[in-house]
Amino acid sequence: MKQFDFFAGKQLPGKQVSRRQLLAGTAALGSVLAAAGLTGCGGTASAAAVRDIAFWHLLSGGDGIKMQAMISAANGANPGFKVHPTVLAWGPPYYTKLAMASAGGRPPELAIMHASRVPGYAPGGLIDPWDMSLLAEHGVTAESFAPRIWDKSQQNGQVFSIALDSHPFVMFYNTDVAGKAGVLAANGQLQEVTSPQDFLAVAREMQKVTQAHGLSFGYLGSGSQMWRLFYTLYKQHGADMALTPGQPMKADRDAAVESLEFMASLFDDTVAAKSGDIGTGIAEFARGGSGMLFSGVWELPTFKKAGLPVDAATIPTLYGTPASYADSHSFVLPRQLNVDEEKRRDVYKFVSDILKGSLSWAEAGHIPAYQPIVQSQAYKELTPQIHYANAADIIAYDPEAWFSGSGSDWQTYFAENVQNVLLGRDKAADGWDAFVRRTNTLLSRPNPV
Amino acid sequence: MSSLATSQDAEREASSLPSQPRRSPSRNNASGSETSSPRRTRDNLNGWGFAAPFLAFFLVFLVWPLLYGLYMSLTGKSLTGANDSLIGLANYAEALADADMWHSLGNTLYFTVISTVPLVLVALVMAALVNVGLPAQWLWRLSYFAPYLLASTVVSLFFSWMYNPQLGLINDSLAKIGLPKVAWLNDPNVAMWAIVIATLWWTVGFNFLLYLAAMQNIPAQHYEAASLDGAGAWRQFFAITLPQLTPTTVMIVLLQVLASLKIFDQVYQMTAGGPSGSTRPVVEYIFETGFTGYRLGYSAAISYIFFGLIVAVSVMQFFITRRRSA
Repeated sequence: MKQFDFFAGKQLPGKQVSRRQLLAGTAALGSVLAAAGLTGCGGTASAAAVRDIAFWHLLSGGDGIKMQAMISAANGANPGFKVHPTVLAWGPPYYTKLAMASAGGRPPELAIMHASRVPGYAPGGLIDPWDMSLLAEHGVTAESFAPRIWDKSQQNGQVFSIALDSHPFVMFYNTDVAGKAGVLAANGQLQEVTSPQDFLAVAREMQKVTQAHGLSFGYLGSGSQMWRLFYTLYKQHGADMALTPGQPMKADRDAAVESLEFMASLFDDTVAAKSGDIGTGIAEFARGGSGMLFSGVWELPTFKKAGLPVDAATIPTLYGTPASYADSHSFVLPRQLNVDEEKRRDVYKFVSDILKGSLSWAEAGHIPAYQPIVQSQAYKELTPQIHYANAADIIAYDPEAWFSGSGSDWQTYFAENVQNVLLGRDKAADGWDAFVRRTNTLLSRPNPV
Repeated sequence: MSSLATSQDAEREASSLPSQPRRSPSRNNASGSETSSPRRTRDNLNGWGFAAPFLAFFLVFLVWPLLYGLYMSLTGKSLTGANDSLIGLANYAEALADADMWHSLGNTLYFTVISTVPLVLVALVMAALVNVGLPAQWLWRLSYFAPYLLASTVVSLFFSWMYNPQLGLINDSLAKIGLPKVAWLNDPNVAMWAIVIATLWWTVGFNFLLYLAAMQNIPAQHYEAASLDGAGAWRQFFAITLPQLTPTTVMIVLLQVLASLKIFDQVYQMTAGGPSGSTRPVVEYIFETGFTGYRLGYSAAISYIFFGLIVAVSVMQFFITRRRSA
């Protein structure tokens, strides 16, 4: 239908023209019938002013439905423009196409990216910086964002991304199972867990209730899943990681090995299933086969829909420093060969409208980046979202490099070296060292951005 | 295309058909019809006219990318457009020292070897069974060939579900007969075989069809004479059917080796090259370095190394089959 939007937008406002209608209309052109067929064609002049804005994103499923509703609301409130979303598959398909479209100079006017991928796009000039003064006209300023999220939006002193949310890796738990296992605190939430031993003990109590597993965590074949949990635990050691092209990777080997060893200890068929992929893990938790699940906040609608008695919290602090792996869906301006200033102004208005309407985005599980929403009474009434809202203060984004970030090959390389550790076939130290070697190879190569 | 023509030539020679005159002018002369020069010019123009669409396509989508790719492999070109200066053979030097390139190339060759053998043998057995004259021939032909019509995405999804370690049909069946579960796509020792099985199911129908057609072309008199001489079914198969199928086998092996070397779709969708890189073929590595790793120049260099390998394999096969059929 896309190719007929021209007609829908300019000739017949408010009407979708099907191919059949169009053909029929063309055939009848010049005849009396044509005139009769186009009598609905009024107000052409005003409709012609509507500017079409292309917007690419990678949000599918429940997220996609929420985003569509937000876009429709923004379109409804702004008669001057119409935003047309294009949804592409998450991961390499999306990022490859966006990079190629930008390199060719004819990308969409607006796109969503994970904040962690921006370092691979900004230096090469694939995206343009935001003009904060234009955004300030719509009431969005640096103060509208939590400090960690705002820091992440910048590269070399310029703002390259405007975060819509942060979506940390969290722990869901089944309150029925937890209650029967006797691991709930007086406030009805899971009791505090402060060490790996504590966590294993809680999981085993839950396993006694479910008779299957205490924890669900699907990871097989998924570098993202393995990385999310690993990086959470690693950062809980208070450790850092730095990737500087031309230099070997800087990381705390002991913290990494300890984190991997703990992860491997989970998969003993009591605490968690020995082998399971993401789908299996989510399905197991959703049908009550376990008491806890490590996953991204975006799974929340699935469990609510299943009617599961679900609560959530950040991943327990097992090594002293509260930390949680996260990323942000962020708006970016792909580089255009010729910038249409009017459209770009519309984009600023659209983004500010979406940020201000992001309470509905919070319903999908994400933590809104826009602080007025987070501080609103309506958000404080959202459970269990409010129980992990503190994650925004402890989130850890991927270490920055042109090859790191959500859905990157680097996460695949992590899986290649670590999956056998989690399956109990390799030693944690060997798996980690192999990953470091792989990373060092990437760092030693020419930087393509 | 050239390798296909090669195989057909080989087949023609092998089947020792009388050699056909190849050039049409000589045929014209032979038939004695004199062609005037304007007529010839018009014919030529018509010929070029008919060939033009293909030629244009060939030049734009094959020759130009081939040359441009070669040029690109000598530059540091990135997907972001940065640094497209000439760097000589640096990309080739880096690729030859790249352990991951060799690993992925090894995976491609391994897949080619372990997939070609069953893809030829199973096709032969299937064709022989159908040719023997089983009832409901159409059903066999349909069920053997139908999977070939499916898209790789469908086949990959289908097998991913079958191979699922917890919920998959295959492990469920194994458990019912008391065998342990297998982590089909997650065990580095098994994953490549799992992909071979899926590929076998998906593509064996094409080879089957070629074999069946060739078998049905073997004159019935040969079998008749053999049975009068007292040859049994097995003897007939090995003494008549197999030798008569030689040209077909040569062609199938050639096509299969080339198809297997290009393996990408199933792997990308079923394992994404994992576990531990054990199934990543070189085409996926080219895709990764170029499109998700942005390094177009480097990925072009690997492509040309792979191209060289394919040419070498084709030439080798050409000489081997020529010697055999001579």
